[in-house]
Amino acid sequence: MKDVSFGQYYPTKSFVHNLDARIKILLTIAYIVAVFLVGQFQFMGFLLCLIFVILATAFAKVPFFRVLKSIKGILFVIVLSAILQLFFNQDGALIFEWSFIKIYDKGLLMAGFIIARITLVVLGASLLTLTTSPVEIADGIESLLYPLKWIKFPVHEFALIMSIALRFIPTLLEETDRIIKAQKARGADFESGNIFKKAKALIPILIPLLICSFRRADELADAMDARCYSGSKNRTKYKKMRLSWRDLVGSLVVALLIFGIVQFNVTGFLAVVL
Amino acid sequence: MQIEVKNLSFTYSKDSKNLSNKALDDINLTINEGDFFGIIGQTGSGKTTFVQHLNGLIRLQKNSGEIKIGDFDLSDKKCDFKALRSKVGMVFQYPEHQLFAETVFEDVAFGLKNFQPNLCDIEIAQRVEDALFMVGLDFNKIKDKSPFELSGGQKRRVAIAGVIVTRPEVLVLDEPAAGLDPIGKRDFIELLHRLHRTFVKTIIIVSHDMNLVSENCNRAGIFSKGKLIEVGTPKEIFANVEKIKALGLDLPTTAKLMHELKSKGVNIDCDLTVQGFIHAITGRGAK
Amino acid sequence: MSLINLENVSFSYDKRINAVSNVTLSVEQGQYVAIIGHNGSGKSTLAKLFNGLVLPDSGSLLVDGLDVLNKKHLLEIRKRVGVVFQNPDNQLVASIVEDDVAFGPENLGVNRNEIGERIDFALSSVGMQNFRHSSPTRLSGGQKQRIAIAGVLALKPKILVLDESTAMLDPQGRKDVLDVALKLNKEQKVTVINITHYMDEVVSADKVIVMNKGKIAMSGTPKEIFRQKQKIEEYKLELPLPAIIADKLIEQGVGIKDGVLTERELAEELCRLK
Repeated sequence: MKDVSFGQYYPTKSFVHNLDARIKILLTIAYIVAVFLVGQFQFMGFLLCLIFVILATAFAKVPFFRVLKSIKGILFVIVLSAILQLFFNQDGALIFEWSFIKIYDKGLLMAGFIIARITLVVLGASLLTLTTSPVEIADGIESLLYPLKWIKFPVHEFALIMSIALRFIPTLLEETDRIIKAQKARGADFESGNIFKKAKALIPILIPLLICSFRRADELADAMDARCYSGSKNRTKYKKMRLSWRDLVGSLVVALLIFGIVQFNVTGFLAVVL
Repeated sequence: MQIEVKNLSFTYSKDSKNLSNKALDDINLTINEGDFFGIIGQTGSGKTTFVQHLNGLIRLQKNSGEIKIGDFDLSDKKCDFKALRSKVGMVFQYPEHQLFAETVFEDVAFGLKNFQPNLCDIEIAQRVEDALFMVGLDFNKIKDKSPFELSGGQKRRVAIAGVIVTRPEVLVLDEPAAGLDPIGKRDFIELLHRLHRTFVKTIIIVSHDMNLVSENCNRAGIFSKGKLIEVGTPKEIFANVEKIKALGLDLPTTAKLMHELKSKGVNIDCDLTVQGFIHAITGRGAK
Repeated sequence: MSLINLENVSFSYDKRINAVSNVTLSVEQGQYVAIIGHNGSGKSTLAKLFNGLVLPDSGSLLVDGLDVLNKKHLLEIRKRVGVVFQNPDNQLVASIVEDDVAFGPENLGVNRNEIGERIDFALSSVGMQNFRHSSPTRLSGGQKQRIAIAGVLALKPKILVLDESTAMLDPQGRKDVLDVALKLNKEQKVTVINITHYMDEVVSADKVIVMNKGKIAMSGTPKEIFRQKQKIEEYKLELPLPAIIADKLIEQGVGIKDGVLTERELAEELCRLK
């Protein structure tokens, strides 16, 4: 429980850390779009994305294993979707058969394609949360959503709720760990039995966690009131977001990435090189 | 049940070099049956990691030492942890945060039903009544109440009843008196002694309260940076005043008094309990 | 005029039982006041009354001449009375120390440069300036609590209220927090109100208030309070341990004077005998 990496800010000073949060959010979205733009089986496009992520990680001065660790959390999803493709995609030529298991070459390619796609999306997204503090992300989103104020959307409140949620993730994980241990010490068993039994076994964890969260929310509300919180009216911001040359460079690199991927899709790898 | 810990080490995030963090480093310790054992040390010194090993909440890592508790060998893969946990009870900091059931009865019975699924209803009721009586609550008045409508002090008692209901031989308590007012604390310590006189043979208590340790424990250990740096009677472990201060710990009041007196040229020898200190002073006066 | 002035203040959470009942008290500029009382005696409710987190049902409550019942004054009052609560995890709103300290001044609409200065001042006042860019989740309880104090100091309050702020800390953390409070009181003339269970924290106060069943049961200097042993017992409190030992010694016929409160005083008395 103590080594949850996703969503954990990695504080240091670097080119990527210094990018404007708004730009970083937009670039992350652009990057994700780029990953999805990669045409079927155009693995060279993925290679381009991977090179981009590795470069970005290097410029962010974040140890690469921290970024890789983010995959751990969704490994299950990746494996599941790959397996589904592998066993149920029946396009192309049959390359392997054993009793009821039939694997086709297209299925294999599709499985690899999906693994690459999800992995790259997660790597990019986790790079955002590793290099951008939750407050910056919240501020960035608030600023990007600013036009929505016009239709009376509570932008500031929305951003604040988000940043507080991010702030409390580690705290609540610790709390969960403690409650699980306390119930285990009382003989609770979370591993055995069928799915209904397992679901029922979660009650002794969920109820205390819920009650605890309510108490925390209450206390936090008091603490915020005590520090003169009164909504977005007349509020200033200590951290002002300013665009700089870095943001221009970052945007250009991502634009180049998208351009490269589109080129691959249209012409194939060799045509670009030659 | 004797507790024997040999060469115990533990590392968090062992698989990654940069993040790994040695929480326990070569711990050797024997806790005898009958001990009222105190564990002190700063936050992050490894105390909690250590005590959570004692009932298998944290599993031993490979080649990182061994733990034997009575007949249980915790380094053995076949060790029956469920049976172990029914013998080694564990009270966490703010134990009231584990309450979840609709009634006090159901909450206290939770552990019992987990450990002994074949117990009949009459027996369960009897055991729950005993446990509630032990912590000083009236079974008939409280059993059908929701644990969430009780006062803070009552909640904590119910939570402790939910642990001792299985009659553990060893009771481990991690900072159990935090947030109690002076009388609440006094009552709580009385409860510990009551348990120690009946079925709980060994008590292991992690505490920041040095007076609690010097007054109640026959032996104690100091953790610092994952190492067990002192083990002995309170008098022995608090002997080196400078060292205790350097560790960011406090001294019991009696030890502070002895230290003050010593600096004024008066040497007093006592076991650091209040009673012992008074005897030492009056004994001197009579001389 | 007194800094805080309560006259016949009553407050009830459920409109049946008064949590605070008919309390009259005043706190002077620069005082160090300790409030003690068993759990449920109403002392924490007092802390919430001081900065208008709860409002009196009856009676009058003035802070620095401002009436809490006047809604327009509420923000001004909270600016003057900074409250630090028990659980450090539940009062930090941001994932970076400086962002958290900035929260209060941001709420007040302080301009950016001044927020920066206030962060410098607040963090150095609590000795945490080296942790400005750290994440609070990685700090110890005592350090978190000092950040919480800094967050309140950034409001430039006249009064610092510690509402059982040391209850969850280890001895070192407790000592650090108390040293900070004492230093602020002595050097910056901040009025300190410490609500606590620890009798040894009370000994150095200028004034002690004992709460029982929502009422002020006793009030005076530590010596005056702890002299009344029967009453202390009656209000479910305890003497500081050196005083208990001194009493037992006197019972045994040791000829020391009555009324010692600290180890040092007792040691001196004992030496005088020899």
